[in-house]
Amino acid sequence: MTDITRRHILGTGIAFASTVAMPAILRAQTGPIKLGTLTPLTGSGGSYGPAMADTVKKAADEINKAGGILGRQLLIISEDDQTSPEAGLRAARKLIDIDKVSAIIGTWASAVTTAVVPVCSQSGVFLSTVSGAEPITLLPHQGFLIRTQPTTTLQGTKFGEFALGANAKTVAFVSPQTPFTESQYAALTKTVTAAGGKTTSLIYDDKKTTLRTEVDQVLRGKPDAIVMGGYTNDTAVLVRDLYRANYRGSLFGFGYSVNKQLVDALPADVSEGIYTLSPSPAEGSNAYKNVARLLGVDSPDTYSCQVYDHLNLIAMAMAVGKGDTGTIIKDNVRKVSQGGGERVETAVDGLKLIADGKKVDYDGASGPCDFTDIGDITDAKFRYEQVKGGKIILLKIA
Amino acid sequence: MLTYILFTLVVGSIYALLAQSLMLSWGLAGLVNLGLAGFFAVGAYASAMLTTWEQAPILVGVFAAVLAGGFAGLLVCFSTLRLRDDYLAIVTLGFAEIVRIVASNEVWLTGGTDGISGVPVMIARDTGIWFHLGTLLITVAAVILVYVLQRRLLASPWGRALRAVREDQTVASVAGKSIVRFKAQAFSLAAAIAGLAGALYGHYTSYVAPDQFQPLITIYIFLAVTAGGNARPAGAVLGAYLLVAFLEATRFLAEIAPGVTALQAAALREIAVGIGLVFVLTLRPDGLLPERSQKAPAS
Repeated sequence: MTDITRRHILGTGIAFASTVAMPAILRAQTGPIKLGTLTPLTGSGGSYGPAMADTVKKAADEINKAGGILGRQLLIISEDDQTSPEAGLRAARKLIDIDKVSAIIGTWASAVTTAVVPVCSQSGVFLSTVSGAEPITLLPHQGFLIRTQPTTTLQGTKFGEFALGANAKTVAFVSPQTPFTESQYAALTKTVTAAGGKTTSLIYDDKKTTLRTEVDQVLRGKPDAIVMGGYTNDTAVLVRDLYRANYRGSLFGFGYSVNKQLVDALPADVSEGIYTLSPSPAEGSNAYKNVARLLGVDSPDTYSCQVYDHLNLIAMAMAVGKGDTGTIIKDNVRKVSQGGGERVETAVDGLKLIADGKKVDYDGASGPCDFTDIGDITDAKFRYEQVKGGKIILLKIA
Repeated sequence: MLTYILFTLVVGSIYALLAQSLMLSWGLAGLVNLGLAGFFAVGAYASAMLTTWEQAPILVGVFAAVLAGGFAGLLVCFSTLRLRDDYLAIVTLGFAEIVRIVASNEVWLTGGTDGISGVPVMIARDTGIWFHLGTLLITVAAVILVYVLQRRLLASPWGRALRAVREDQTVASVAGKSIVRFKAQAFSLAAAIAGLAGALYGHYTSYVAPDQFQPLITIYIFLAVTAGGNARPAGAVLGAYLLVAFLEATRFLAEIAPGVTALQAAALREIAVGIGLVFVLTLRPDGLLPERSQKAPAS
């Protein structure tokens, strides 16, 4: 079995080469309009990406059932960015060059988005992202980029106001190093110091299994409030160690990290009282209910809501522009997202109105979806919640 | 389609450079180098920082990357002189993590987790297909250059002595060879090659960030070198191209598999990589191109 000849190697090589060539032959027809999703299915974003890809696929099915766009069906191709810019770039190239998608939906990690932006804008492919890091929309993207996630600066400001509202004077910001850590802390500091308070920050390594020393260091400053900037896994470690260290001040975290998963994983008295803040999905809107129905859950996460909106906007932009290229999406996306017209909450409704020659204004599952010239959303509502008795209770939406 | 193939080949060439780096330090000198991603990062950062922020010409950047990689290699080698096998592996893995964590946290030096975007490219991006084709030619030229260099080194007395050090340090030192010198030279040279790979990668993708240099890259290259043959330059190069072809081919295979969700397809791809490694190790434990034993010259 071990004597593999040159012929075997050659054979394997040809087999490899033909697998690469195969899909192009299989899918050489011009029929459907192709869109790609590039979400983290594995890696540190792996808990968010699968539902995102699923949402887009199911929402596209609904559009297809209602007749598609301009008489053509939508075909969604899902790739995995492995939460790594290197793998994400390879996947994006495949989506663009082999599948010839007109848009890529759902890049999650800011580093992946930054790596993919130049490739998309150069190839004329539209990119819609849920990354929050400030510099992303400042990249030279020539309009080929929109994002529905509020920028991290805005989130930092909201955290500051939230903490001040809970009568905190000294606020500690504890976070792993991420592309948005710095801008968030700066915004938080600005808000808190303007009200006469003080802030400190501590950066930890999110791969550590205990943060005891970090916690000790933070508590030395006797903060009234601690804002946690990490993701679910490392925030769970942090919360546990803060509990062990007998911290009695208030804790603030992102809605995406202090989520049901975290609350379920920790005993109720450990997570008791944590305040959370998240960009609010437009709960109660039909779009939000649609996402919940598509995914079969009660409260879909903000990222699934956002990619649902991405798909709807892209679908309607293509219908308005009567074409399927990235440039057409770029030129028309703001015509369906804002600027007056009949208010719609799904692409299925919107496409009917567009076919009748009417103007539409989409309000989605994640919010009103109005964009600035560089692709940021203009208005975002936040959802304030608190963990009580092992459950996340809504305080207010504002 | 063509762009994609060219892109994949460029990535394959970068991997081929990394694989040759690993072949030299691991296959020939016997130094298990799990810090490959770290040297890759050092090279990428050195060149990106110089060319993006200091507006140095790309050639200067690439040269600096090779030097920086080599210097980092020397540093790691001298701090691990007494270590072999598992111990060296752990320390080098630690080095790669240090590089990544420093790059994430020393914002003043490296731009932090934002990374460095807008790194100048070797061929102008607006030349369409020529951007990819030109970069491919440059990277392939680098692969060939390193390949020829390695072939010459291996055929020389230096290469023989290095293999002697790998096989038995005591015997080699009894024969009057300086173990430290050979190890340091090989390791440093290997790190310099990884630095070169990093620089070329940065100048192709225009973006350098700490997340790109996760340990997964090192594991991929180990897989490539194991598959190709860890003591022959040709084996390393072949292994690297095959690995990239395999990684990309699994995309399409997972896609045509019926009734598989996107998440399952992603998991299947990762499983395929593992199974691939098991297959290679079962069928060809020495890789596709195993080491040839050199005959003593007739004289």
